Amino acid sequence: MSMNPADEPDRLQQLKILRESALSFATKESPRRRARAWRAKAPGYDRCFWDALAVQGWTGLLVAEAHGGYGQGFAEMAEVVAALAAQVAPEPVVPTLVFAGRVLALAGSNETTTRLLGELADGRTLPAVAWQEDATGTLDFAAPATRLERDGAALLLRGHKGHVRPGAGADGYIVSASCMQGLALVWVPGDTPGLDVSSRLLADGSYAAQLGFDGVRLPGHHLLAAGRIALEALARAHDETLVMASVELLALLRCMLSMTLDYLRTRVQFGKPIGSFQSLQHRAVDLLIQQELTAAVVAQAVALLDADGDTAGDATARSAMASRVKARAADAALRVAREAVQMHGAIGVTDEYDLGLYLQRTLVLAAWLGNASMQRRRYAAQTRAALTQSLE
Amino acid sequence: MNNISTTDWNGLDNGAFRATVREFFETHYPNELRYPETRLRWAQVRGWYLALSAQGWLAPSWPRQHGGMGLNPEKLIIFIEEQERWGVGRSPDMGLTMVGPLLIQHGNDAQRAYHLPKILAGEHIWCQGYSEPNSGSDLASLRTEAVPDGDDFIVNGQKIWTTLAQDATHIFLLVRTDKAAKKQQGISFLLADFKSPGISVRPIRNIAGHEEFCEVFLENVRVPRVNLVGELNQGWSIAKALLGFERIFLGSPKQSQYALARVHEAAQWLGLFDDAVFVDRYTRLALDVADLGALYGRFIEQVKRGETLGPDVSMLKIFATETYSRLADLLVDVAGASGAMPGPVGLGGGQVDVLTSYYNARPATLYGGSNEVQRNILAASVLGLPA
Repeated sequence: MSMNPADEPDRLQQLKILRESALSFATKESPRRRARAWRAKAPGYDRCFWDALAVQGWTGLLVAEAHGGYGQGFAEMAEVVAALAAQVAPEPVVPTLVFAGRVLALAGSNETTTRLLGELADGRTLPAVAWQEDATGTLDFAAPATRLERDGAALLLRGHKGHVRPGAGADGYIVSASCMQGLALVWVPGDTPGLDVSSRLLADGSYAAQLGFDGVRLPGHHLLAAGRIALEALARAHDETLVMASVELLALLRCMLSMTLDYLRTRVQFGKPIGSFQSLQHRAVDLLIQQELTAAVVAQAVALLDADGDTAGDATARSAMASRVKARAADAALRVAREAVQMHGAIGVTDEYDLGLYLQRTLVLAAWLGNASMQRRRYAAQTRAALTQSLE
Repeated sequence: MNNISTTDWNGLDNGAFRATVREFFETHYPNELRYPETRLRWAQVRGWYLALSAQGWLAPSWPRQHGGMGLNPEKLIIFIEEQERWGVGRSPDMGLTMVGPLLIQHGNDAQRAYHLPKILAGEHIWCQGYSEPNSGSDLASLRTEAVPDGDDFIVNGQKIWTTLAQDATHIFLLVRTDKAAKKQQGISFLLADFKSPGISVRPIRNIAGHEEFCEVFLENVRVPRVNLVGELNQGWSIAKALLGFERIFLGSPKQSQYALARVHEAAQWLGLFDDAVFVDRYTRLALDVADLGALYGRFIEQVKRGETLGPDVSMLKIFATETYSRLADLLVDVAGASGAMPGPVGLGGGQVDVLTSYYNARPATLYGGSNEVQRNILAASVLGLPA
């Protein structure tokens, strides 16, 4: 899918149908009490619900038809992602279907990527991407400390990874490592001997994993890609994931603002609805502006990904767009979360009120894969490098 | 009408139209007036106004039978984009943007036949008489009064913040014609000639040292009844209806993009891109400007599809002007001790006017409805918050 949906009336119509069906599915099958129930209960989501997503065809939405998927675009994926996020569904849709799925698709066709893409598409396998290593999750794709070496026909992996989502229940990991050709991407099944997985609870009740590889031996065909293609696959999938995480953040933001506006209209103090007070009205308007800015940038970013489609596209422009949208979405959603709690008053800080589910998920997504400040630093470095190049 | 356009501009393809407009601006617009940082005075811009008039391009949005170009919204957007791109300054354009559309929609044949050609010929320069000393944000409380007397109204009162009234020959006025009615319902729309006895204009000096706006005093001014536009007491709804899709241009990212470019230039001279504090602040604003562009684009698409703009367009004006204001602050900040010097100052390798954008940013968040009033509108009409 390489066209902007705005240019294709049929696709717009299909997107509308998909949106309605995703919203109706999510509302019916994933009430917020389900999200609540899976908090801090390993693996933090429901594998049966994952099967239901597979039955809908959504696990294979982004996967090419040749690999058993539906070959749809990011605009389609965004409809499903937004509908599930609006219900704070805990399933790791973006980490596996977008991040891992796209790394596999971009890493080039070989025995392992083909098999994994097929299993991802039909919902049987949940892979996770493991690439960050330090505590803050520094955005450096190219030179991880984790090393991959040849050992005869086999591969030997040493090092550690952090901030891996989903942090529990993943069937295996796509791990980045330095090797002779530069960067390598290697498949490490979850049951590999010597693989150490420790799960760490996140704010929203889901998990992130730390992985240790103390000389883990892997068969040679588990090397997914090495060299430039590996680096480009990881970097591009990361950028695409930032855009889809921003779609999620926007959906969370919309829900929090809508809950807050309902509250402002109905909560009575001093004999009036508190939404009649100008100071709160003006703050609510500022949140609306952030929501609409985010929506405009998200739409632009999704359209850019779909326009690139199967072509290489302009990697610099794509990265700049991805950083830009994540920075906006993360900051906007965090701001709406804070203001939503403030305007709700004490009820907003209780665990039993659903606003908290959205706030906690916002914290997780804002921090994942580079928070707003990290994205701005990346954007500044990229645009400056591009400018310097253009002047040379 | 002497200069009815014979060209069907809307029939041209967009690229060809853009090229034609661009070529004309690049060839004919005076170089020294590009990207003006203050409003241009009639004496400066008269030649350009007449050149546009001769070309038949003064009134791009007016219908062709009235001497306009008859551009549809898509072509008009291209026209404005090209103006912004080349830094074409605003002329005293109230006749073109307000009086023309007003008379075309709500005037009568005699009013159109008399006034429109004079606007197009540059003989009549109009200014807008809305605000009063006690009626700013609460415009409907205005008290300038028009009392019928034979074939005339007798007008008494005062208008203020009248932009470039000193260059104008005429003023269009909102006046109270029924003191008993609810405030919005007793207001009428009148056209007055500055030559009428009893009108006087006093320029007001602003904090930048310019005389861009004025006070207008009206003392027993006789305005002929034929100068009433629309029905008596319908002035308020007419004025509101005049707020067409052109409101979108108040939210154009152009002003901010231009300010960002100046900050960028100054920062390069000063070597500030090695300074983490500056880079963080600059990048936030660069992203605000880029994202404003995305939001603006969404409203532009709406206009191009021929949809009417809703009250939500107010958010553009708020974010555009407040982004501009933050950029103006940053420019003053990077100038350090030179940040208090009006006019061009030398910074590192070049010269930059530090304070003009700061001064311009002050009225930007006020005119066209203050940003607080815009927020009130959004709260009520878009968010549905209670009164």
